[in-house]
Amino acid sequence: MFSNTLINSVLAVVLTVIVCFIISTLLPGIERKYIHARIQQRIGPLVIAPGIMAPLKFMFKENVKVESPVPGLYKILPILCFIVVLCILVALTPQAYAIPALASLVAIVGFLKVEEICYVLMGALSKSVMSLRMPFPDLAKGGAHLNAQRSFIEDISAKRSLRMITYGSFPLYLALFAPVTAARSIFLQDIVLYQQAHGPFLFTVAGGIAAIVFFIGYMIILNEYPFSIIKAKSDVIEGPYMEYASKYRAIVYLTRGFFMFVLGCVFSVLFIGIPPNIFSLGILVNIAVALIFVFMMGIFSAFSPVFTNRQLLPTILGATLLGILAVVIGLL
Amino acid sequence: MDEKVPRSNIIETEIPMGTVHPAALEPYRVRFFVEDEIVQEAEITIGVNHRGIERIMEGLPVQKANSLTEKICGICSNSHIWNSCRTAEMGLGIEIPDRALYIRVIMGELERLHSHFLYLAHGCEVLSHETFSMRVFYLREIVMELLAMIGGNRVQYGCSVLGGVRPRCELDEAKLLRLKNDMDKIEEGLTDFAARFTADSMVMSRITGIGVLPQKQAIELAVTGPSLRATGVARDLRTTMFEYEDFDFNVITQPDGDVKSNLLMRALESFESINIIRQAISNIPEGKLVNHDWEMVDTDITESYIEVPRGTLYHSYALESGRVRHCIIRTPSMANIGAMQYACIGDQLTDAQLCIVQCDPCFTCTDRAIEVIRR
Repeated sequence: MFSNTLINSVLAVVLTVIVCFIISTLLPGIERKYIHARIQQRIGPLVIAPGIMAPLKFMFKENVKVESPVPGLYKILPILCFIVVLCILVALTPQAYAIPALASLVAIVGFLKVEEICYVLMGALSKSVMSLRMPFPDLAKGGAHLNAQRSFIEDISAKRSLRMITYGSFPLYLALFAPVTAARSIFLQDIVLYQQAHGPFLFTVAGGIAAIVFFIGYMIILNEYPFSIIKAKSDVIEGPYMEYASKYRAIVYLTRGFFMFVLGCVFSVLFIGIPPNIFSLGILVNIAVALIFVFMMGIFSAFSPVFTNRQLLPTILGATLLGILAVVIGLL
Repeated sequence: MDEKVPRSNIIETEIPMGTVHPAALEPYRVRFFVEDEIVQEAEITIGVNHRGIERIMEGLPVQKANSLTEKICGICSNSHIWNSCRTAEMGLGIEIPDRALYIRVIMGELERLHSHFLYLAHGCEVLSHETFSMRVFYLREIVMELLAMIGGNRVQYGCSVLGGVRPRCELDEAKLLRLKNDMDKIEEGLTDFAARFTADSMVMSRITGIGVLPQKQAIELAVTGPSLRATGVARDLRTTMFEYEDFDFNVITQPDGDVKSNLLMRALESFESINIIRQAISNIPEGKLVNHDWEMVDTDITESYIEVPRGTLYHSYALESGRVRHCIIRTPSMANIGAMQYACIGDQLTDAQLCIVQCDPCFTCTDRAIEVIRR
């Protein structure tokens, strides 16, 4: 009996993950084809091009030697990111509620932090040709500072990632903990049960405010315009991802789409009370929420320039204050 | 406005960018000396795309040399062949038919429009605002089609020839009507874009007070063209060019010398270009396109300056037996490199490429000289 239940649970989780992953591969294409391209009045790529065709193409490309002081670790990081995102999705499934240590907000936050730290390591370990120095002092123009220490542009990305960990992700984490104030529990099961009994947290004042903050945090953690200072084309280009080629770049692409979907599922669980489960129609809500977030993010990013620290800090400060307000209202 | 002073003399690190970088459309290397992501000093190095066009021009028949100058730049190709022909025409004392002068002005202003639109689109792209960038590119497309209609080509039109313009560039009634209608379309589109652009508070916060080049420094650095006028100096060579004597237009200036002033400068200048083209369409005189009534003689070195989209363009050469000697060409970006370096100081590293782009660099065509700074 127990073994049957276990097998069913594992099967449910595996099927849920597979279905979610397949749908997630379409999200980057939907964002680019149906939002960015429509807004910019151009045809845009095929829907399956950014999320499916590009990773497939990269899977079969020849790999290049990574310019990194620790190439092994650098190459593992995208795989680690993918596993982290996978773990978050597994933690959200109702079958995981039997393991409280996994199905809790602390675990989710922990996984997200690992994902963020990966960016710091990627930036610090990438030494691309884009900033390659001359093997001799540059005297071409009179060389104002011949002995200045030289940095790779990915180093800037690493520093910015570190800053984002310290203050950039405040809004997201505050929004994640806002439902806790209503459910009075950090366990996902309790949060879901509370919402099934009292209605979605989203439709409360605190929930509405927290949802806005969550959306800002969602864009920040996905490094989407206007918050993409870690990989801004105007200076650090691709930043941490610069040296990834072949299958490693394919994993980077797959992880991004998957992460977009999983963050939508996090919102569904915490703000609507519907966990991703293949055997329930509730998964349609998860898909709808993921799509709505992608649409909103696409619209917002299409009309925004990339922020510098001058714009980023006030925005994060404002979102953080809103998040605190949501938590305080939730506690009242 | 006071001179900009770096926040400190501490150079924490040097960030080299280029010669290949997605925010820079052209091959140049820039070294940013930064402290806490604030640029303390910038150093631009060019020279990776030197093609030696002046050297190739030496000894060529002047007609061939004129055609070759068009290959210097993909954006202001017409300006180069115009100024090169103008140099020979001044040396040989050739009179240009009025109709040809008008067509040259129309081509010059169309080129200014497409160059300024490219500038605006590229500026928006460096701001990472792809939507604005795409919208300007759509406007530019109308201009490119007009250039192709007149010159038969989208980039190299070969409009000017010694003594006038090529017969292919004759403007009949149908072409003039299309020009007129498209000017209305461009004006409407540009007005709409400018209104949206200036009303976007996020964009304004990115460009206001960024990359400031004070007027005093602009004059000291011999900055030219719209980059100079964006600091409040009303200096436009078109006011002294005989080709523009019949035209009534304003010299646009902006007060602040920052990215915002530079972007608005180009947008407002585009309206003036539309105005000039409309005047040319209304008043274009009848007559022949080319004056063949001249003789080739040897000349001393003749110099010609014209106002092109980026500033003052200089061509000079002598003629010996109909062949070019001692050719020198100086493009406006050469004079603006100092401004680009200066504008970056004190701004965030993310804004640094924007500060360079605000001076509208065109390094590939500037790659014909070596600047030596003695310290």
